[in-house]
Amino acid sequence: MNMDQISVVEFDGDEAVAEAVAGLEEAGATRGSFFRRSGAAAGGLGVAAALVPSFFGGTAGAREGGSKAQDVKILNFALTLEYLEAAFYREAVNRGIYSGAVGTFAATVASHEATHVATLKSVLGSKAVASPSFDFKGTTKQWKTFLRTAKVLEDTGVAAYQGQAPRIHQNAVLGPAAAILAVEARHAAWVRDLLGAGKTVKPAPAAFSTPHSMEAILAAVKKTGFIKS
Amino acid sequence: MLFMNQKPRVDLTAVLDYDTDGALAETAAEAQRHSRRAFLRRSGIAAGGAVAAGAMVPGLTSGAMAATPKGDVAIANFALTLEYLETAFYAAALKHAGLTGEHKRLARTVHAHEAAHVAALKKMLGSAAVKKPSFDFGSAVQSQAAFTATAITLEDTGVQAYQGQAAFIKSQAVFKAALSIHPVEARHAAWIRQIAHQNPAPAAFNPSLTKSQVLAAVQGTGFIKS
Repeated sequence: MNMDQISVVEFDGDEAVAEAVAGLEEAGATRGSFFRRSGAAAGGLGVAAALVPSFFGGTAGAREGGSKAQDVKILNFALTLEYLEAAFYREAVNRGIYSGAVGTFAATVASHEATHVATLKSVLGSKAVASPSFDFKGTTKQWKTFLRTAKVLEDTGVAAYQGQAPRIHQNAVLGPAAAILAVEARHAAWVRDLLGAGKTVKPAPAAFSTPHSMEAILAAVKKTGFIKS
Repeated sequence: MLFMNQKPRVDLTAVLDYDTDGALAETAAEAQRHSRRAFLRRSGIAAGGAVAAGAMVPGLTSGAMAATPKGDVAIANFALTLEYLETAFYAAALKHAGLTGEHKRLARTVHAHEAAHVAALKKMLGSAAVKKPSFDFGSAVQSQAAFTATAITLEDTGVQAYQGQAAFIKSQAVFKAALSIHPVEARHAAWIRQIAHQNPAPAAFNPSLTKSQVLAAVQGTGFIKS
């Protein structure tokens, strides 16, 4: 399998994240354990349609290509990313040092990511992967590092959901995925604006958003060293 | 939605009749029949003569969208109309609204993005692309405050419009194109909300709107003249 070794920095075209990645060590987690964790056993998602709120839109049909089994893998991939984001923002909020605009951002996004985790777990039921354990290497300790790291995580989340959406089989899964994709993009623009007021760091850096494959995303996440096991 | 108290000047459902079951394709086919009849008249060939149908209307049968499900053509044209509207709105605001600072930065950036979206959708649709309507944004572009409020509505609506159509798009090419635009509109929405000191991300799951809901909202603005 071709693995794109796209580093976290490459996702971050217009600003170095030296502070975020400096000193980070490669995590002990292997690619193999990532895949074992992110790819759940094959199985149906019959309960998914019932659990997904109807306001997500679309029809309760299926799309060509893909399969219910692959949908489970995609949802668990999403869940793994959401576990990471939720834990990151929870750590930032729990430090109790952020107020004002940064505090509002942290608290709001923390609650969103926690909601994403809860919904994805509920949709997956017994097929949900467990949360990895994380070490954010002190990136939540100081506001600038926190925001820069958040920026990378949110941009990565957008690229991840956008990369998976065309592979989704069930419309009941596509609805929430598209709904989350938009929210991650909002988070990304928000944190970019906090960093640069639309000058040095652009909330919407390009006219068209770029998707990335599951492999590329997992490789980039691995390089952060945030996942301990 | 804002602006629902404005009377629509145009019956939008007549101008933008986007049925997912192919009203646009029927219109295109009708145009093709007209062209074929005109060609036959010019060539002096009697109606019903043996002429290859595909040669009559360049682009419609050989263009990029020929193999695309007609519902996808309708959805792409629905998106194109919204992108036409947004592009024109930002252009008008840059001219009239007295924008400064980050408002101006946003308007310039977003205008360029929406224009790029128009270009990409037009290229994808070829001769099946709807023409640009003419617009009148009235007071919505006469001040920075009105611009800001309107931009929030338009961008939020755009995100919800793309999301509402996602499940209906059948071809991967159109779907991936929509997916490359939808998150950008979401970034626009968050950015303008942030500038306006409103919550950039009001919900954990972005809501979606049906096509009729979006058309009703757009019609309610009165921005589309014809």
